[in-house]
Amino acid sequence: MKLFGRKEKATGEILAGGENAIANKEVEGLSQGQIVRRRFFRHRAAVIALVALSSIILFVLTSLDTKIGPIRIPGWWKWTVEDIPELRFEDCPGGTTGCPTLSLNPTGDFGMGNHPFGQDDIGRDYFALVMNGARRSLMIMFVIGAVSGFIGVVVGSISGFYGKRVDAVLMRLVDFIQTVPTIIIAAVIGKAAGRVGPFFLALFLGILGWTGLARLVRAQFLSLREMEFVDAARVAGASNIRIAFKHILPNAVGQIIVSVTLIMAGAILTETALSYLGFGVVAPDVSLGLLISQYESSFTTRPWLFWWPGFFIISIALCVNFIGDGLRDAFDPRQRRRITKKDRLQAKLQIKAGE
Amino acid sequence: MLNYILRRIGVSIMILFGSSFLVYNLAAYASDPLAELRLSTDDGARQQIIALTRDLQLDVPPPIRYFLWLKGVLGLFVGNLNLGMTREASSVQEELAYAIPVTIRLVLVATITALLLGLALGIISALRQYSRFDYGMTFLAFLLYSLPIFWVAVLLKEFMAIQFNNFLSEPNIPIKWMFIFSIFTGIFWSSLFGGERKRFWSVFAGAFATNFVILWAIDLTNWYLNPGLGPILIAFLSIGIAFGVTAISTGLSNSTAKKAALTMAGLAVVWYYPAQWIFNNFGSYLTILIMISLIVLTGIGLSRVFSKIDHGPIARTAIITGLMSGILILVDRIMQSWAEYSATDAVNGRPVPTYGQRKDQLVTTDFWINNLDIIMHLILPTLALILISLAGWIRYSRGALLEVLNQDYIRTARAKGLNERVVITRHAFRNMMLPLSSLFVGEFVGLVGGAVITERVFGWQGMGTLGIKAINSYDLNLLMGVNLLLSILVISGNLIADLVYSALDPRIRLGK
Amino acid sequence: MKFTRSAKFALAAAASAALAVSLLTPAQAATRSTIVIHDTNSLTSFNSSTPDTNLTINSKVGNLSGIGFYYINDKKNVVRNTTFGDFKIVKNNATDFRIQYTVNKGLVWSDGTPINAVDLLLTHVLSSNTYSKAAGLGDPDSDNVPAFNSNGYGGTYNDNIVGQPVLSADKMSVTLQFKQKIANWDLYGPGPAPVHTLVLLAEGKNGLQSVKDNEAARDRFLAAYNSKNTAVLKAMGKVWSEAYNITEVNDKTNPLLFVGNGGFLVDSAVTKSSVTLKVNPKYNSGPKLSGTIDTVIFKFISDGTAAAQALANGELDVYSGQPTADAVAALKKLSNVNLIGGINACYEHWDTRVGNAPGQPDYNGIFKGHGGKGADLRRAFLLSIPREEINEKLIKPINPNAPILGSTFIAPGFEGYERLVANNGSGYYVGSQEALNAKAARLLKKHYPSASPSNPVKVNVLVPGNNPRRAAEFALAKANALKVGFDLVGDVQASWSPKIQLSTYDAQFFAYCPSAVTQAGSNANFQIGGGNNRNGISLPNLDAILNKLQLPMDNRTYISTIIQAERIIHQEGLTSGVFLHPAVTAVNKNLKGIKPSPLSDDVVWNWWEWSY
Repeated sequence: MKLFGRKEKATGEILAGGENAIANKEVEGLSQGQIVRRRFFRHRAAVIALVALSSIILFVLTSLDTKIGPIRIPGWWKWTVEDIPELRFEDCPGGTTGCPTLSLNPTGDFGMGNHPFGQDDIGRDYFALVMNGARRSLMIMFVIGAVSGFIGVVVGSISGFYGKRVDAVLMRLVDFIQTVPTIIIAAVIGKAAGRVGPFFLALFLGILGWTGLARLVRAQFLSLREMEFVDAARVAGASNIRIAFKHILPNAVGQIIVSVTLIMAGAILTETALSYLGFGVVAPDVSLGLLISQYESSFTTRPWLFWWPGFFIISIALCVNFIGDGLRDAFDPRQRRRITKKDRLQAKLQIKAGE
Repeated sequence: MLNYILRRIGVSIMILFGSSFLVYNLAAYASDPLAELRLSTDDGARQQIIALTRDLQLDVPPPIRYFLWLKGVLGLFVGNLNLGMTREASSVQEELAYAIPVTIRLVLVATITALLLGLALGIISALRQYSRFDYGMTFLAFLLYSLPIFWVAVLLKEFMAIQFNNFLSEPNIPIKWMFIFSIFTGIFWSSLFGGERKRFWSVFAGAFATNFVILWAIDLTNWYLNPGLGPILIAFLSIGIAFGVTAISTGLSNSTAKKAALTMAGLAVVWYYPAQWIFNNFGSYLTILIMISLIVLTGIGLSRVFSKIDHGPIARTAIITGLMSGILILVDRIMQSWAEYSATDAVNGRPVPTYGQRKDQLVTTDFWINNLDIIMHLILPTLALILISLAGWIRYSRGALLEVLNQDYIRTARAKGLNERVVITRHAFRNMMLPLSSLFVGEFVGLVGGAVITERVFGWQGMGTLGIKAINSYDLNLLMGVNLLLSILVISGNLIADLVYSALDPRIRLGK
Repeated sequence: MKFTRSAKFALAAAASAALAVSLLTPAQAATRSTIVIHDTNSLTSFNSSTPDTNLTINSKVGNLSGIGFYYINDKKNVVRNTTFGDFKIVKNNATDFRIQYTVNKGLVWSDGTPINAVDLLLTHVLSSNTYSKAAGLGDPDSDNVPAFNSNGYGGTYNDNIVGQPVLSADKMSVTLQFKQKIANWDLYGPGPAPVHTLVLLAEGKNGLQSVKDNEAARDRFLAAYNSKNTAVLKAMGKVWSEAYNITEVNDKTNPLLFVGNGGFLVDSAVTKSSVTLKVNPKYNSGPKLSGTIDTVIFKFISDGTAAAQALANGELDVYSGQPTADAVAALKKLSNVNLIGGINACYEHWDTRVGNAPGQPDYNGIFKGHGGKGADLRRAFLLSIPREEINEKLIKPINPNAPILGSTFIAPGFEGYERLVANNGSGYYVGSQEALNAKAARLLKKHYPSASPSNPVKVNVLVPGNNPRRAAEFALAKANALKVGFDLVGDVQASWSPKIQLSTYDAQFFAYCPSAVTQAGSNANFQIGGGNNRNGISLPNLDAILNKLQLPMDNRTYISTIIQAERIIHQEGLTSGVFLHPAVTAVNKNLKGIKPSPLSDDVVWNWWEWSY
């Protein structure tokens, strides 16, 4: 069977000792943080994703005005979401209005133009709308990640560390939260309060969204607390809190971070889904999910209204997922890294030298 | 253990009570079911307000009304469950009883397909860690993971239904597309097999040529207007299956198993013509069931014939080969109904629907046409769900297998000199299924309530649609019915996941 | 005959080409005889007249399977169906107003039973509270469900009817007596119902009976009706209220439920998916069917985009909905579809507050009080709403002919609309937006001399949430009003309708959707104590004019009366209509005769005209 054939060849080529030699050499004399950082930066996709996400965040945050209390930091983009410039009618395909002016033709009118992403029905600049939406979506993503990450880790570690009664009670709390369907509560709260601002929506989704993470952290704690190093720490007189947070938690941090990135990537999609059903962010607030669902039907007629918010949703979620993947590889001590031809050669030489 | 389960159930009932009380009152205070009627100047609005107030007991304050509702729910224990009436005066139980099977039909097929496909891709991805295929799959998984489902649904409908149906009315594959499609197939297979550059290109060339010829033949014969596999193709495929199954199940070196599997494939081909006659005259689920049992019996029989010892693996190989060949014959039979199905007045030459569970105007007693209709309506929503959940399974299974492959017992197994096939299928696969089994329960439960958007976009009248309708029309009883059912599902799902996990992994102790 | 070599060759080539073409072209069904109509909601009952089942889809199905003395066409006119019968005023006093309804001879129900005036009597049972109480069927106003759980109790008919309808000796006509002349009296007449089936169902019969048995059953109803036989009527009421609440219909369903006199009768139904109606071979109660359509299917699709895609995919023949501009553009691109732009009955309008609604705290905002300052500012505010721009940007991409409303009483296209608009004072609000803004600024400066775009006057506006179009409408209004000197402070509320009455808002905008064609339909919006008067309007002179609309009048007088009323309304700046909600009907190109009507039974009113 060919599927397995290559593996045999690869293992045949390099002896197990060679692999370990590579692995040991790369971590010699390094602190945990350094190892993690090194491993992460070797994950090319994750690094690209990190750079891309940082650029997106920077781009999105600086483009529009930012208000922090009375201070107003001006953005570099000329329109805001409140402006209603003239709607562009000329030169648009198929009798549409407000088509984009973004041009990537290097010989022609290269540049952003007046409305790079086009305009909406009433002429508002779609670039400003998408930027504003992306801000909201990023904010929602980070708030949900932070809130559910925090609650999930705290509840999960307490539950897993103490076990018994505490565990039973907390796990039933998890059950309780899980039985309250997010959509129903979002809709009910939305209808009762008139509307919920995006921040409160995020906060509330975060408060409901930690259950999976808590179960995961608990499982990690349950198995880690039986390990020898925990017994060792206890014998050495470490307090419970110290054992939990200094000894066990660092061992679980890889899983936690991966899980949180998954929650964050999922958060963007949850917001999109809720907005699509009319229970999430509502007009006149803007979010990427709202924009994409609002222009769902325009993808054959004014495709730019459909693709741009979609592009940002997908890019952000994709970046976050890749970063999570890189972190997982970096934190997992048992993770083998890719063995390149160069490594193999070196290993062979080493083995030869050893002989 | 029993003690533990009973205690869990007891606590669960308390949780259900608490959460339903909370949701009931939140929903009741947040919404006014009469708001729209109060605005209306219609003659009938006054009577409607009186009737609704009376039927839904709107004059009773919500916390007390909750107990009236609870009384109906507790009627379950005296065999008289009453979840109340909807605004449209239908019974909530009936609405739920209608919706549950619809959702399960939609979700079950999608979950199982996604699981199998995701497992396969994830396992290969893990075995080929850091190969082109692995990177491709990782990227694909993350991309799928990042797509909003309604967005996918709109695209699927446009390209897989509307455009495909248009294509069927003037079927002609442009050469350009043959090229593009073949290139993609080539890339997929060559990166799947991997290897050095030379091997990569030879696999690529092979796959490209095969695919191109197949497409060309399909185009020339207008195969998609009257599709079918035919006995010759089935024969070739069955032999291929026999070899493939043997390779994974027992290894090709086991010649007895190979012989049994090949005999099974041969039998399937011989069986093709009688099967046609039986299918045409006695098409029913019972027939299919009988045939499946025949295959199983034949497989066991073959293992006895070919070998005196160690029947298990041989029977297994033969049965799997038989079942897969059987599926081919079944697929062939369903395909044979395609032309007739597409010519009916109901279908009107546009066989891929974008909407609904069945074509109601299709009036026929033909077993195959009816099933084809069900399948055609399942295709797009299932595909959408699969695309979305596939990503998760690829990642989970890849991660789980990598985790297992790093364990000491795998090293030991390899050191013992076991060949790689045995290491993977015996030692690694079983252990990797541990965490996945509890995930499956969660995933399935999540989808029953989470297929809201899919149901809505594809017009399936399941639980999700019901829940949305309840929210939008302020239908409290309906909302509570949906909520109660989903809550019970979640709680029992968690319980089952815990039990499965502890049953599979003796290291986990429950109730301590 | 001899063929040359090349002719033979040509023939052979032609034959093989023909063969190839016939192979390539999939089997096309001959002229279709089925029409598939889309609806947003699922059917819940085959009786649309109970309070719980009063949904448009239910009544659409009823519309096809029954026809009476009149129907309402796409111009909102009442058209008499003289094939079925006729009706005339037989007495016309101020306190005694009688109408006689006569059914033509020779008409039959789908089970062959001749139709007569006894079949008209059920309407009285379903509409008169007095009869219901007298016959021991329960008080519809009480907490108990009446035997006939009808939506018709407590309406105009009940308020005005005197005694019981009188049946003529030949049982072919009934005479109704009202205590006064009522406006739109022709809408309150009786409709035919196959009462014999109710009797038979109540007696537990299954399957169609002979004509003789049917007529005997009808006589039993008449006897029970006359003697107010509670037991018999109650049993019938139970059937009427409950037996029709089914959504699944197949061979096993009792055919007695689906006896009718319309062109199409219910044949089968699949829960939450579709209802199939087949042509009624005995149909003779209305206009002749003009086409060969023998099957009508209602397919339920709740999602608009999904429905449009289903239409594009040929799964539907008629789609109607209120799609976005993009969906309309996409529909236009389809080659197999005819797009009929249209409007529905809903009209979007901006209202201003005068005082508090009943039960609300006092209103002390800038618009307070009739006349003087309040009226000036209200007018200035309404002038600053850029109606032209809103219509141009939000509505015209969907319906290019969308007009700006000059009246909130009747819609464009209605008889006399032009004269109304020319005289009702709406001209004050028409002109270039610069001119209107200047006019508004003058009015505003009169009371707030310092008001300017940089120092604007705040106006609190209730913005209906969860609606992109309204969000855009508000954005446009806000931008323009700022030029005048108003700062519109929008409060977005997802569930906005209960909040219209709050005194915190100076103005609101939303839509009313009248579902009938009554003269006095708008009265409740402006009269003191009117059910929809949530802005504290209290103008006795306006009330006096509106009260006249309660009485029947000819179109000229009707228009003149509205002119008087709307002059006051526009002078006071109480409301300003913006646009009619656009509705789009898209139809399979081969299908003829679909004429959408702006009232709720949008496409089904003229089923006899449909053909391929």
